[in-house]
Amino acid sequence: MTTENMKTGTATNETAPSGDPYAAEPRKTTEGPVYTLTGGDWDQVLEDATHDERMVINLGPQHPSTHGVLRLVIEIEGETVTQARSVIGYLHTGIEKNCEYRTWTQGVTFITRTDYLAPLSHEAAYCMGVEKLLGIEAPRRAQLIRQLLLEINRISSHFVYLATGGMELGSTTAAALGFREREVLLHTLEYITGLRMNHAFIRPGGVAQDLPEDWKDYLTKFVKTMEERIVMYHKLFTGQPVWRNRLKDVGYLSLDGCLALGITGPVLRSAGLAWDLRKVEPYLAYDEVDFEVPTSTDADCWARYLIRMEEMTQSIKIIKQTMKLLEPGPVMVEDKKIAWPAQLTIGPDGMGNSLEHVRKIMGQSMESLIHHFKLVTEGFQVPAGQVYLPIESPRGELGYHLVSDGGTRPLRVHAREPSFVNLQAMPAMAEGGLIADLIAAVASIDPVMGGVDR
Amino acid sequence: MTQDVAPGEWIAALIAARDTQQCDFFDFLTAVDELDEGIRVVAHVYSTKTRQHALIRTLLPPGALTLPTATTVYRGANWHERETHEMFGVHFEGHPNLVPLLLPDGFEGNPLRKDFVLASRVAKQWPGEVDPGQSMTDLKKPKRRRNLPPGVPENWAQP
Repeated sequence: MTTENMKTGTATNETAPSGDPYAAEPRKTTEGPVYTLTGGDWDQVLEDATHDERMVINLGPQHPSTHGVLRLVIEIEGETVTQARSVIGYLHTGIEKNCEYRTWTQGVTFITRTDYLAPLSHEAAYCMGVEKLLGIEAPRRAQLIRQLLLEINRISSHFVYLATGGMELGSTTAAALGFREREVLLHTLEYITGLRMNHAFIRPGGVAQDLPEDWKDYLTKFVKTMEERIVMYHKLFTGQPVWRNRLKDVGYLSLDGCLALGITGPVLRSAGLAWDLRKVEPYLAYDEVDFEVPTSTDADCWARYLIRMEEMTQSIKIIKQTMKLLEPGPVMVEDKKIAWPAQLTIGPDGMGNSLEHVRKIMGQSMESLIHHFKLVTEGFQVPAGQVYLPIESPRGELGYHLVSDGGTRPLRVHAREPSFVNLQAMPAMAEGGLIADLIAAVASIDPVMGGVDR
Repeated sequence: MTQDVAPGEWIAALIAARDTQQCDFFDFLTAVDELDEGIRVVAHVYSTKTRQHALIRTLLPPGALTLPTATTVYRGANWHERETHEMFGVHFEGHPNLVPLLLPDGFEGNPLRKDFVLASRVAKQWPGEVDPGQSMTDLKKPKRRRNLPPGVPENWAQP
């Protein structure tokens, strides 16, 4: 036994008389010394191993704390991150390309699968872009239903931030409770749209169907539940010292850095700019409801947590006011060249009530049958041109850059995805900090990999 | 506000937008394949002070898909340019790390170009199964001439 081994406390075959038959001999290789550890004090063992050497660690893509299939390649010195790089593309499915091969209406089915935590934001941005190209406006009731859905979706997205972000910090309580709340929200979305995710409910020209008959009672109950629950989260996390210490002064990103990188959403607002497209460039009916945009000047993860919590409260406020604004009316444009002729609303018997319509077009009018067939298979034509339409998704500015050549399919669909843009800020937030803080920083960006990779 | 510039004035136009129009916020950069005319690169910037949008476009002819990098003007253009590079084959001169971002290693071609065929549209019989229980072999014996799926060229071999 060498004296060096004794000093570092490396337990090898020689030092472990019990004898581990699988232990390798300590040796030096071109990549550095190989140690076999079967106990002892890690600090002592690693003393000479990490002293002046850097380590490159690969985190992910399958790792419970990287917020999805995100791979982080980090270079560390001790516990300090000296360089961080994100490797993305594991969920790239070519949604933008696929949209070019489908009609404008079918495109909704694709783009709802990008950011799977805020699918309705994508649907709304895309459909409003198509409507702008068409030069039409959805009926008021459809717009209010969209606004209602966007805010319900915002709360559910923020709860997943809390759940996954909390889990990454080691708080399984946050994970369990956040997903429990999300279940309530998904039930509500299912109640309105028929599906928990991938709704394709918002269509160019309006929404697929009207609200269910008893929506007022259901949503009033839902709002009451949510108001009670959010107070509980403040009690549980906001005052909790461990939660606070993990987030406070971690993941700092200044306002200038945010603007140069194009960062939006809670990250930008945590740096002090009250930048919320619902206020800055109001769309739908956001200029008719009263709500506030929470900001902070701390620019750290703690500020981002508080901002998201406050945004949930504000969303409930918007939902309550939007419910009051809702009045009976059509939910799809009148233009028969765009709106599908059949009524898609599901009746109490679980069937669509379009039977009468189908009977009419099948038996009485050959022209309307042809029209129906062409509209569904070929789609409607959109005048040539290009638009960019941004809205405020839970993660920041989400915009669709749509180009049409005048045909029934898009020439180009590009999503300006907030997760994709915001994730670029990860090195700026994490370099120079500890590994544990890197995890907190990524969680505070709250990227959704489906949106990043598209 | 939409502004069309020549490829040579690309950087000058971005600097002008940033400095004289106070567009401090970089929104996005992407491209559109305009077939025979070439590839149009589009950048969108915004001013948080005057709240002015600026959409700057430039058309690159098919033989010369090169543009100086915008990362010197807006740091945030980095990933957008990497994505545009791999999807459209536009080369950004002076980019610090112009390697594929979303596509897997060794992927050939530029998927968002119009001449890149969407293989899944061809590999799978289109319009697909008509009735439940109808097997794909039934469909492969066409009773009449089948139309090609939209976007698939006439002479394109079945994979």
